[in-house]
Amino acid sequence: MENELTINNTKSTHPKKLKSISLALISLFLIISSCDIYNQEDYREIIVVEAYAVANNPLPEIHITTTSPVDVEYNRESVIVQNANVRVTLLDENGNDSDQFNYYFSLTNDSYITTSPHKVIPSATYRLDIDFNDRPEIIQAFTTIPDEIQILNDIPDEVVYQSTDQIEITVSAPKRTNFQNVFVFSTIAEDPTIENLTPFYRASFDNENIDLQEVVINSSGLINEGNFEINSDQTITLRFPWIGVAFYGDSKIVINNVDKNLADLVRSQQVQLGGSTLSPGEIPNLIYNIEGGIGVFGSLSADTARTSFTRP
Amino acid sequence: MDFKQILFSIFISLFLLPVASAQETASVNGYISDSLTGETLILANVALVEMNRGASTNTSGYFTITNIPPGTYTLAASYIGYRRSDIEITLEAGQNLRMDIKLTPEGVQLDALVVTAEVDEEEIRNIGTAQIATQLITDLPSVIEPDVFRSVQLLPGVKAASDFSSGLYVRGGSPDQTLILLDETTVYNPTHFFGFFSTFNPDAVKDVRLYKGGYPAKFGGRIGSVLSVYNKDGNRVEPQGSVSLGLLASRASIEGPFQRGSWMLAVRRSTLEPLLAILRQSVDGVPSKFYFYDINGKLNFDASQNDRFSLAFYSGNDSVTIPFQDDALINLKYGNQTVTTQWRRIFNDQLFGFFTLTGSRYFNQPTFEIAGTPFERDNDILDFSFKGDLEYIPNERHTLSLGVWGGNIQLRFKDQFDNQTTFNNRIRSQYLSAYVQDEWKPTEKWVFNGGIRLNSFSEGNYTRLEPRLSAEFRPNNRLRFQTAYGRYNQYLSLISNEAFSGFDLWLTSDEGVPPSYGDQFVVGVKTIPIPDYGFDVEIYYRTMRDLFELDPFISDPAGLDYNELFRFGDGYAYGLELFFEKQKGPLTGFVGYTYGITRRKFPGFNAPVLDDPTKARFYPPKYDRTHDLNIVSSYKLSTRWSVNAVFSYATGQAYTEPLGRTQFNGIPWDGGSRNAFVIGNINGSRLPSYHRLDISFSRFGSFFQIGDAEWQIQIINVYSRRNVWFYNYDFDENPVERTDVNLLPIIPSISYTVNF
Repeated sequence: MENELTINNTKSTHPKKLKSISLALISLFLIISSCDIYNQEDYREIIVVEAYAVANNPLPEIHITTTSPVDVEYNRESVIVQNANVRVTLLDENGNDSDQFNYYFSLTNDSYITTSPHKVIPSATYRLDIDFNDRPEIIQAFTTIPDEIQILNDIPDEVVYQSTDQIEITVSAPKRTNFQNVFVFSTIAEDPTIENLTPFYRASFDNENIDLQEVVINSSGLINEGNFEINSDQTITLRFPWIGVAFYGDSKIVINNVDKNLADLVRSQQVQLGGSTLSPGEIPNLIYNIEGGIGVFGSLSADTARTSFTRP
Repeated sequence: MDFKQILFSIFISLFLLPVASAQETASVNGYISDSLTGETLILANVALVEMNRGASTNTSGYFTITNIPPGTYTLAASYIGYRRSDIEITLEAGQNLRMDIKLTPEGVQLDALVVTAEVDEEEIRNIGTAQIATQLITDLPSVIEPDVFRSVQLLPGVKAASDFSSGLYVRGGSPDQTLILLDETTVYNPTHFFGFFSTFNPDAVKDVRLYKGGYPAKFGGRIGSVLSVYNKDGNRVEPQGSVSLGLLASRASIEGPFQRGSWMLAVRRSTLEPLLAILRQSVDGVPSKFYFYDINGKLNFDASQNDRFSLAFYSGNDSVTIPFQDDALINLKYGNQTVTTQWRRIFNDQLFGFFTLTGSRYFNQPTFEIAGTPFERDNDILDFSFKGDLEYIPNERHTLSLGVWGGNIQLRFKDQFDNQTTFNNRIRSQYLSAYVQDEWKPTEKWVFNGGIRLNSFSEGNYTRLEPRLSAEFRPNNRLRFQTAYGRYNQYLSLISNEAFSGFDLWLTSDEGVPPSYGDQFVVGVKTIPIPDYGFDVEIYYRTMRDLFELDPFISDPAGLDYNELFRFGDGYAYGLELFFEKQKGPLTGFVGYTYGITRRKFPGFNAPVLDDPTKARFYPPKYDRTHDLNIVSSYKLSTRWSVNAVFSYATGQAYTEPLGRTQFNGIPWDGGSRNAFVIGNINGSRLPSYHRLDISFSRFGSFFQIGDAEWQIQIINVYSRRNVWFYNYDFDENPVERTDVNLLPIIPSISYTVNF
């Protein structure tokens, strides 16, 4: 606390000395800071893979495209890659090749398909290999199919929308193929008309611009298994939230159990759209679990129930 | 003997120090205060002119000078903006003279200005430290309300994230790296209007001091900086008040003396209701409720000449309800409460102590009710602490300070979705820190300040040692060379969003989540090139290690271990700050310039898209601005009119320019397609430069002879520069269309203030 006080001392600093010290400091500083130049890179084309294997379903179609520069018109047809060599390999428990499925390009589907009747095996791991005759990229990705999920209880045929009788769904607790299971719940409306829109979703559209396709399949975000308590019989009971209901009438309720690749893609895509703690304009890449390219080789298991939502 | 016992022993031993001064010398001590209000003055100068020995007051306005040979001296006291006081004192051997000094503000006796201008009243300017005059806060043009943080943002080394954020980004650090203290009590979310401006009411504030870096061992808990705000004690001379009416908010304050002390009460509330009522008639989605208020109060009681007690409190609340469409309602509510009780004691002429009990609460409780599905969040912090600080001055060469700060912090974070708890986390941790520091003056030209701070945090069982060192060389009274080094630790991390602080969430270090730490190096030159002018240069370099932030890619925290919620990274920052100030005359103000670089690196973030995804590259956060210039000026046109202007220029902020795009059409539960950008370097591009001019005109008069009145007419962004906040990309257009999201346009406003 004790300090020197300067009173009536009018001695001045030597201006030349001060100037030279300041110049030396500033010069040193500018030299150091010149090492920190950080600019944007140039665009380069990248291979994009998209495939979703569903447990107990046939092997998936595989879409191979390229990225396009952000400032040119995006035309899906023009970015399709037709001359890739595509193989999917089933791995055994030790990670060795167990079965291999060759793909060919289908002009009808604009994607790669296989003629194999193989059904995707829950909890099994598959490898995707892609190379090209005229491109240097070598692409590889793995997915472990989530365990089967089953709706175990009977769902009522009719439920009054926003009544106290919310739908309760009991599902089997799937064996974990990831650090924990990740679910997505969807409602698929079977009678999607404007008149059948529930009030919140009706208000979401202005009267001149209604695209019902946006909400015909109305899905939740990614929901970790950790949100639910496991029942003593190793099942999970959840209440279906009213926000998932976009239409009155007959609907399918689908429960999806999603693998890590798909979950990573979806959650990182939400971040890219701005739904996180990042500052506005701070845009990261998506999380791609693919070597040599980007995209997703994902998988899921699912089960479906039916009900009808009636007006209150 | 464990850490706590050692601390206790050190602290108690101070009371046992031999306090008897040598009988052949004398001492003088006391408080320095404003003669009109009785407010104590922090870091005022006092000196014995004949000996060229002096001291500065501490944060309680107290000074002491010891080891004075008997004799007659002139005791001079000075403070920027006040007339110098010269008092002749005669000291006898062994005498301890109590001398409380009252300084008169310059404006009161204008004929004295000439006299004081000739005196070299040097402000105490330690390295890395800056002060904002409270008068400047109210004089500057401001949106809605005069704002402490907006004023601090004008200082070199301090950056604003945007026109909408009052967050303090000091020397490359994020807002959570600045410890914010109100009367010694930590404030966790010091904002109103969800970050638009700060909670501190300028009517209630007495002193605002920013320790930008390299700060001494007395402070701790953040790796960046400290902003210390003290509220007024209340007028100890006569009752006084003010009322200020604005278009969007109004405030009132009253203060006065009582027999053995003083009191102060200041309230502020938004007055948006009429505007909202008009808007609701033509616009959808207008809030049905939207207000903020805050209340500051303080009570001082002088129990004896040597014992002063104070009780201070703050309470602030923001609340908004938005029925944004049918069957959808958002309700946001957040606020802070603090309470501080302090006992300041002069034990003897060599030992001064202050002991503080603090309580701080922060809460935010947003609720959403959408399509019959409720979502509720309850986020609370409760922090109770005890502080004890002692200043011991054995002789004119040493000033020894030591203290402890211990407390209990509890953080609760609970989410409910559809009436079911989806996340519930409660952290309770005890923290304890102790410091000792010595300011040593081996000669009149050299001052060294060395200290060490030891702190512990029970959650995770961390104990850290922090050395601090600073040195100052003064070849003459107009030139100071200063340098400082310090290590700093931080056990808290703020989860926030630059655009919106209403959901702020604090998380602590824990097992598997080590505290962040960093080193700071500062070198500076402070000069007075000609009387009444100041020119300072500071260069800083700082590291940031083990930064822990909520992983932005976590969409659902349920089922994750605590340490899995975070990403851990490093950073660094360096810069050059220039500060040129004119303190007296009709034209006053300052020019502040900063050349600054700051970088961050988190594994898996900003890795090349085809490279190992666990790799990382350093990148600039959005608020990184290479050049930052602020010119603040105030000109007294006449006794009735004054004009204030602020011009700001800054390099455009960093943003990420997308390079490519792709589309995912087959996600099984999607009805449509999902678009994605391909990114190169995160934040590798720059927005257009930012610049803005704000002007305010003040006209002073009287209000029906009851009191002084002031009309203030303000124009924010005079030439309506459309500064860009960020770019929005619209995938509905092909090719993707980029649109500007702009910052504030031109905004005129008017306010009327009456002081009585």
